[in-house]
Amino acid sequence: MDDKTNPQSPSSFNRRSFLAGAAGGAMFPLAARAAGPTTTTIPSTQDPTLPVPVTLRVNGHDNSLNIDARTTVLDALREHIGLTGSKKGCDHGQCGACTVLIEGRRVLSCLTLALSAQDHEITTIEGLSNGVRLHPMQQAFIDQDAFQCGYCTPGQIMSAIACVKEGHANSDEDIREYMSGNICRCAAYPNIVAAVKQAAPEILSG
Amino acid sequence: MTTAAPAPKANMGQPIPRYDAVAKVTGRAQYASDMPLRDPAYAYLVTSAIAKGRIDSFDLSEAQKVRGVVDIVTHENAERLEPAKFFSDGGYASTTNQPLRTAEIAEEGQIIAVVLADTYEAAREAAHRVKVSYTAATPTTSFHSAGTIAARAKGQVKRFKDDPKVGDFNTAFEEAEVKITAEYETPPQHHNPMELFTTSVAWNGDSLTIYEPSQFVYGLKNGVATQLGIDPDQVRVINPYVGGAFGSKGSMTPRTAIIASISRRLRRPVKLVATRDQGFNVSTYRAETRHRVDLGARRDGKLTALRHEGWEISSRADAYCVGGTRTTTRMYDCPNVDSAVWIVRADRNTPGFMRSPPEVPYMFALESAMDELAHQLKMDPIELRRVNDTTREPIGGKPYTSRSLMACFDEGAKAFGWAQRNRQPRSMSDGDWLIGYGCATTCYPTQMAPAAARVRLRHDGRARVEIAGHELGTGAYTVIAQAAATRLDVPVEKVTVVIGDSDLPPAPVAGGSNSTASTCSTVMMVCDQVRQRLFKALMPNESLSDKAKETVGVGQTPSGRAARSDQPLDREKAFDALGVNVIEEYGEWKPEGAPQDSFRAMHSGLVRIVGGPDFSGRIAYAFGADFVEVRVNRFTHEVRVPRVLGAFAAGHIMNPRTARSQLMGGLIWGVASALHEATELDERYARYVNDNLADYLVPVNADIPQVDVILLSEDDAHINPAGVKGLGELGNVGTNAALSNAIFHATGQRIRTLPVRLEKIEA
Repeated sequence: MDDKTNPQSPSSFNRRSFLAGAAGGAMFPLAARAAGPTTTTIPSTQDPTLPVPVTLRVNGHDNSLNIDARTTVLDALREHIGLTGSKKGCDHGQCGACTVLIEGRRVLSCLTLALSAQDHEITTIEGLSNGVRLHPMQQAFIDQDAFQCGYCTPGQIMSAIACVKEGHANSDEDIREYMSGNICRCAAYPNIVAAVKQAAPEILSG
Repeated sequence: MTTAAPAPKANMGQPIPRYDAVAKVTGRAQYASDMPLRDPAYAYLVTSAIAKGRIDSFDLSEAQKVRGVVDIVTHENAERLEPAKFFSDGGYASTTNQPLRTAEIAEEGQIIAVVLADTYEAAREAAHRVKVSYTAATPTTSFHSAGTIAARAKGQVKRFKDDPKVGDFNTAFEEAEVKITAEYETPPQHHNPMELFTTSVAWNGDSLTIYEPSQFVYGLKNGVATQLGIDPDQVRVINPYVGGAFGSKGSMTPRTAIIASISRRLRRPVKLVATRDQGFNVSTYRAETRHRVDLGARRDGKLTALRHEGWEISSRADAYCVGGTRTTTRMYDCPNVDSAVWIVRADRNTPGFMRSPPEVPYMFALESAMDELAHQLKMDPIELRRVNDTTREPIGGKPYTSRSLMACFDEGAKAFGWAQRNRQPRSMSDGDWLIGYGCATTCYPTQMAPAAARVRLRHDGRARVEIAGHELGTGAYTVIAQAAATRLDVPVEKVTVVIGDSDLPPAPVAGGSNSTASTCSTVMMVCDQVRQRLFKALMPNESLSDKAKETVGVGQTPSGRAARSDQPLDREKAFDALGVNVIEEYGEWKPEGAPQDSFRAMHSGLVRIVGGPDFSGRIAYAFGADFVEVRVNRFTHEVRVPRVLGAFAAGHIMNPRTARSQLMGGLIWGVASALHEATELDERYARYVNDNLADYLVPVNADIPQVDVILLSEDDAHINPAGVKGLGELGNVGTNAALSNAIFHATGQRIRTLPVRLEKIEA
């Protein structure tokens, strides 16, 4: 968590400051770090059940939405933007299938409100490849057969990229530990470890 | 070749990467809930908080006030759907307890209302504002509940035809030189595939399209049509990718027809994504079991008497059992065998198939008892299996089509380092860690079912295969493409495979490890039809002599070897002779011994599986040997599993890469089942307590250090044209016993109730 961008004290708490604070980064599960100020402006007197305007920057494109304030990043991606690569496996932050990168850090999109992710760069599985060449982690997952049903795979790959960049891919044991937030019920775990090992040098050198 | 892609041995295909690999790593693979719908209403389920009783009233006033709510459907206003017949009684349904019909509650988590709203968030809020008044009765929860009655499965469960027995067990057991009697228990478990139980539907006039993860699109199509009272041709089920299933998506659950009927009434597409906790009741589960095993043997280890009695939980609504005695009574050579299976009814949802349904609990009991017998005999457990190995099953005396059990044990033992094992329990350690080695037999019946396929070949070698198979992560796309490429003699890159759509030619339920054997045998046969037409074009005056049949590969050539002539068929020349650019063939295949009505049943979404002990004149099983090392901390009793190894023989291996992955996943499932997984029940309320992925323990990456898979060459000419035994369920059968046998070896304590958890270890 970025402690410097904490929500304001309870005495001054209101809807507006809550959202502003949340968008400032403190709301991201797994601690996505905030970058830049928020532009969210919602009159505090507005009916809270009415849709609110939200702009999400996903894979380099801005998406202007009018959505329920309770919409998560995951549901915004899947139901409103049409990017269904990120998966819903539990909606409780327990399985990792919804993992996306926000400002380069891995975040559980099912536990992140879309409102709080405004003004941040969101990267999903659809944004990894330029359409010509696969991302090294995608290629490694193919080479090492690191999936079966494929449902957890987008989350595994996003998590694996962050795992490498965090410096947690230095040993098999390290990879196993830092990839344990992503459940694979088909149990491709040993192959996932092999894939992370394969892709790590190219990711770190690139 | 890499670890992930082992070099093929004899009678194995190439370890090519998965056909669907790029789609799956880029997020382009569309699962059912990824399919776009035009302005859908979002459905959210309200489920019962009691297991038994009735609904007195609903208060919907608060729920209806939520902005965006479109409708709230309860038993008071729901459309009356036709009843759904239980799959085991010749129907399609996973349960006959159909919700939204009356105020009666028969299971906790039963669907009691469906809230429809313009947004998911509004539907969810309104569902939580539905108030329900119940009159609750005390439910029967499980074996331990007061007043439960056990009744024989035989006569209740149609699929369970008989309790296998032979010889005179009682006398033989009485006279046996060495005896073992032991009782075992396995817990309830839930499949928990990563993909949730979703249903998206859209009507176009009278035609219904269903996007739902399914292991059986033809069953779902026909089942929903029956419930809605419409022609099955008006229903299309589409799911090109299934996000894991493991049995949970095999039979039709009540949700599908309910959502379809609501959509028809609203004249609007509807999307349901049942929550993870709702999934524990929306679909099925592996019910808890109890076992008593009696083994009698001579001092040299030869079995003289074997008795296996099993008890299983089912629901009030349906008589379901897995009845694994059909396997355990036939595993070893023993002249005197007896068995019985009992069912205990509880106020629960109806159980169903879960990966290796009969073999996981029943082989745990048998293979644990075999280990107990080996210990009592002071004999190596592998040698005990060798003494009792057989080429004929003892009940009917039928020969095994092939049986590589001891070869698996021998190769596995060598790779595992079994020779280093000191037979004495509690004799091996490393610092504070007690070390145990355990092993067990694994097996799974070879099963096949009728299927149909359409194959199109172009003059340039591009081919397209259409079959309503299912990709659950098993590699179905890949092996079907390989089967077609081999048989048509074209590069695999030129083959397009279309599956997961009930408008395609029918294929059986993707369950019971029958898919690869059934779909590949069918595709090979239809490819042969294509080649036959090309052959006739080149040699119009020749009748199809045996030589010619061999040339084009017609007939049931075993083991996936594409029959070839001395010279390959000149495809371009044959197309020129035919004067067409594309030829297309459709064909229906059924396995040897399939019943007369097979093809009609297949088109109606009914399954006619043959194989295992019910194979014509023979018995067909795949075998393997599982090895597990455990480390138990002598102070904290913490259990670690540093390595697992399985050696398997399953006939022709279509693709060593996908085969290895599936078996590896199976071994890890076995570790999970033995150490982690149990659905905890609140005995008072017949309620699942740990209905989420934080509390229902499945392994994570850190739990699984080393898993080795050895694939043995095996050639079986008796099973099906593809020569395939199937291996989706072979991996996780023996692991439970191998692990608990290793716990005994490490600690000297036998744990007969799964899962093994540290509080059960006293040593």
